[in-house]
Amino acid sequence: MKTTRRTFLYGCSATVTALGATRLSFARFAASATDPNLLVVVFLRGGADGLSVVAPLDGPDRAVYEAARPHLALPRSGAGALLPLDGRFGLASAAAPLHDLYQRGKVAVVLACGLTHDTRSHFDAQEYMELGTPGTRSTSSGWLGRLLTTDQGVPRSLLFPSLAVGAAQPSSLRGYRGTVAMEDPDHFLLNTGPWKWQDAQRAALRRLCRPSGSLVHEASSRALDAVDLVESLALESVPPAGGATYPEDEIGRALRLAAGMIRLDVGLRAVTLDVGGWDTHVNQAWSATSGDFHSLLGSLAAGLAAFQADLDGSPTGSWGERVTVVVMSEFGRRLRENADRGTDHGHGNVMFVLGGRVRGGVHGDWPGLAPEQLYDGADLAITTDYRRVLSEIAIRRFANPAISTIFPGYQGYSPLGVVAGSDLTPE
Amino acid sequence: MKREHIEYTPADTPFRRGIHHGAAGDLAERVREERARRAASRLDLAPPPAAAGAAMAAGGRVRRRLGGPPIVPEPLPRAAVVALNRLGYGPRPGDLEAFEALGTSDEARLAAYVELQLAPAGIDDLEAEARLGAAGFTTLGKNVQQLWQDHFLGDPDWYTRLRPLLEVERAAFLRAVHSRRQLVEVLTEHWHDHFNLYAWEYVAAPTWAAYDRDCIRAHVLGNFRAMLDAVAKSPGMLVYLDNYANHVAGPNENWARELLELHTLGAAHYFGVMRQHEVPRDRQGVPRGYVDDDVYEATRCFTGWTLDEDTGGVAFPPDWHDRFQKWVLGTYIPPNRTAAVDGGQVLDLVAVHPATAHHVAWRLCRRLIADRPPQRVVDAAAATFLAHRSSPHQLREVVRVIVLAPEFRLTWGQKVKRPFEVVASALRALAADLTFALEDELTDALLWLFDRSGHARFAWRPPDGYPDEAHDWLSTGTLVATWRLLNWLIDAGDGQGGHAVAVLPPAEAGTSAAALADWWIARAYGRVMPASFRDEVVAFMAQGRGSAVPLPVATDSDTEHRLRAMVALLFVAPEFLRR
Repeated sequence: MKTTRRTFLYGCSATVTALGATRLSFARFAASATDPNLLVVVFLRGGADGLSVVAPLDGPDRAVYEAARPHLALPRSGAGALLPLDGRFGLASAAAPLHDLYQRGKVAVVLACGLTHDTRSHFDAQEYMELGTPGTRSTSSGWLGRLLTTDQGVPRSLLFPSLAVGAAQPSSLRGYRGTVAMEDPDHFLLNTGPWKWQDAQRAALRRLCRPSGSLVHEASSRALDAVDLVESLALESVPPAGGATYPEDEIGRALRLAAGMIRLDVGLRAVTLDVGGWDTHVNQAWSATSGDFHSLLGSLAAGLAAFQADLDGSPTGSWGERVTVVVMSEFGRRLRENADRGTDHGHGNVMFVLGGRVRGGVHGDWPGLAPEQLYDGADLAITTDYRRVLSEIAIRRFANPAISTIFPGYQGYSPLGVVAGSDLTPE
Repeated sequence: MKREHIEYTPADTPFRRGIHHGAAGDLAERVREERARRAASRLDLAPPPAAAGAAMAAGGRVRRRLGGPPIVPEPLPRAAVVALNRLGYGPRPGDLEAFEALGTSDEARLAAYVELQLAPAGIDDLEAEARLGAAGFTTLGKNVQQLWQDHFLGDPDWYTRLRPLLEVERAAFLRAVHSRRQLVEVLTEHWHDHFNLYAWEYVAAPTWAAYDRDCIRAHVLGNFRAMLDAVAKSPGMLVYLDNYANHVAGPNENWARELLELHTLGAAHYFGVMRQHEVPRDRQGVPRGYVDDDVYEATRCFTGWTLDEDTGGVAFPPDWHDRFQKWVLGTYIPPNRTAAVDGGQVLDLVAVHPATAHHVAWRLCRRLIADRPPQRVVDAAAATFLAHRSSPHQLREVVRVIVLAPEFRLTWGQKVKRPFEVVASALRALAADLTFALEDELTDALLWLFDRSGHARFAWRPPDGYPDEAHDWLSTGTLVATWRLLNWLIDAGDGQGGHAVAVLPPAEAGTSAAALADWWIARAYGRVMPASFRDEVVAFMAQGRGSAVPLPVATDSDTEHRLRAMVALLFVAPEFLRR
């Protein structure tokens, strides 16, 4: 027997049954006077080569770029020519679907953005960024979890404000209990074992999870709640809308699942997705359009465009306006390509913000590629701290000014203007 | 500049194909499909539709408990339980009794058990050996040259290419479940994470039997420098971290960076962008850590380490090496030496560096003791590591110091089992008789479900290895996947109309709900569980009848199925995750 989705939005299901549905509807309406906004964080694992995504079109930096990357530089003309963004910079042709969105004002490109800590380690850099505490890996919570915890618009009774697409929970949500980590809803059912006793065993397991104050019990209890929730969903009722065509690969499947879960209106506020394969030390590309990097980028761009089309085309929810997508990576790569048609670990990178309430265009200062302008003499410098962009989203899209909690120690915030919304004094 | 090696790599060699996420040619996807296909008949995931109503009715009869039980911290269990769960994959029937016979006090028994496990050659392991033989594995004994010849050269079909990896994957399960050299298995799992490779690709997969045996297993109680040497020269690692493409005309720093960051000194001793001479030094004048320039200089030392594509061995083409002087970790590396000598000296330097001692000790303590291991034990283990740096039994001494520390027992329950440990310990408690043979449908189904847990063997892509802290393994996705597997296992068919695992206790144990619950709690946990826990299990089995009433468990299939669900309940319960 399927219960309605809303039954499981709030409170644990045992409580839900006891309370009855009326009370729950009340809880939901009381909690959200306006429709809440959502944040989708796409993390490109491995240090994506931003200089192969957005590159200079003209001026002295163009010459430096071409000289530093004899095999990998994206061309200005001919096959695979850069798609112009603002006259100064162009977007890789592999990312053409994103260019369409860009022209419709739904993409903000933040130049020379990233983690200002001087590490070139993937694992340190990812942890610092996701935990939101550059220099410290032992933080017990992640920035996204803290964003949700401090958001006054997220009712405490809301069971799962976040979805992590994948088996694991990313560090940005470390220790955050309200996360469904799920790769595939079809494999998220407790339908194995002797069928007649499945429900009774599940009820007994729920009671065995009851002792609180213990990590394993709380986590198991949450997992049961998540199964209850997912079981009640009818993802088939939200097929891709707006003519969205997702790529038939891991990225496409993940984004499609994310859009479906968002459109089912289960109370999500944040979604995380991981895309791996960006650590391109060797054979990054064969040409301006072919090779591992370009296929991956093409798939990502097609997936993101489909995602936006799906949300925009949704008959309900005005999701296209409410969802903001951030695409980030732990660092960019070295300006100079290596001898293996690859690139080594670098520093500054490009960051994308997408959505209906984004201020489309190119943002941030370009530090230049001359030797003295490079970070450590080798890499694109950083002019925009990644926390600046995320803080702006917290304030303008989530009306959450708790910046000192979300990013402890982060000083001197000012909005860059990548999204629309009201400013609040950071707290 | 003409570089023959690089010129032909893109087009002609398959080294890099499939290494990156989702790229065409990734062998893992192919295997998943194959497993799903072969396992399909054993999966039976959907209940018969007509049965749904009956299942609901059965659920409705479960006794409801009003109000939660009080929170009682679990008392420290006997040493046998701690040792068998932390130095092994949980007790098999008879293991607890055998441990108790080792001495007259917990301390004496633990010490005796540790000594036995630290001398694995002295442990009779004939049963596991026989099972490995019966499984029909043919590649586990091949050396790297044979593997290269039989499974790499001549572009064999995907199954031939993968076979060594598939056999090691299955053997890892088989040994965790059946080998009596349990500590070796635990340490092998650990060191595979320390020297992680993504194995499901074109070079690692065909040579995996050699990597597992010669680079990891051979050294888990041996010498760290020797292990490092074997790993650095393995074809899998040469390709995985791109050292095979490290050339004087185009250095590739991937290997040198991860060598310093993950394998030896550790990220805690990385000083980032700082000049080499600015790094603080210890009293012996040794820099306390490394900086980017050490990575670059070490990279230069390793230029000219590459893969011999005819044999699968390491090769040192002389004109690939950067012959000028270098400076690594405060040590001057003179010019005009060979790649083998320069790279070897870097390995010498890092293998005995105090930061490496600390890093290796910390990782072992985190595996064996707690996510945040007590500093005292880490320091003691690091000191032992350095004191025995030249010993062929260096790591044995380090492990001994860790597991005989009082903290080893006192921190019981602070580690969370990873999915491999959960599944292996359930299989052990069940005395399950899976063959783990290739093309065995039951094994395929198990592995197919297991892959969903996020802990598929040898499939972690980045070089840092599977994570090892509680928060990494308590996501809803991991727990649900593990529960699905455990419940499937308890009900899986044997292909002849019966069940793959037996759950009926011997007749003398009794057949009441209380007797069945107590017998299985003792079997699965080996420790006294809180009354609230036991009551719940008994109630599940009793389904409203008296807990002392004999149940027709041997004659009534419905009752037998309930017993199966009860046993699975013990494995999916949160308490089972503790070690």
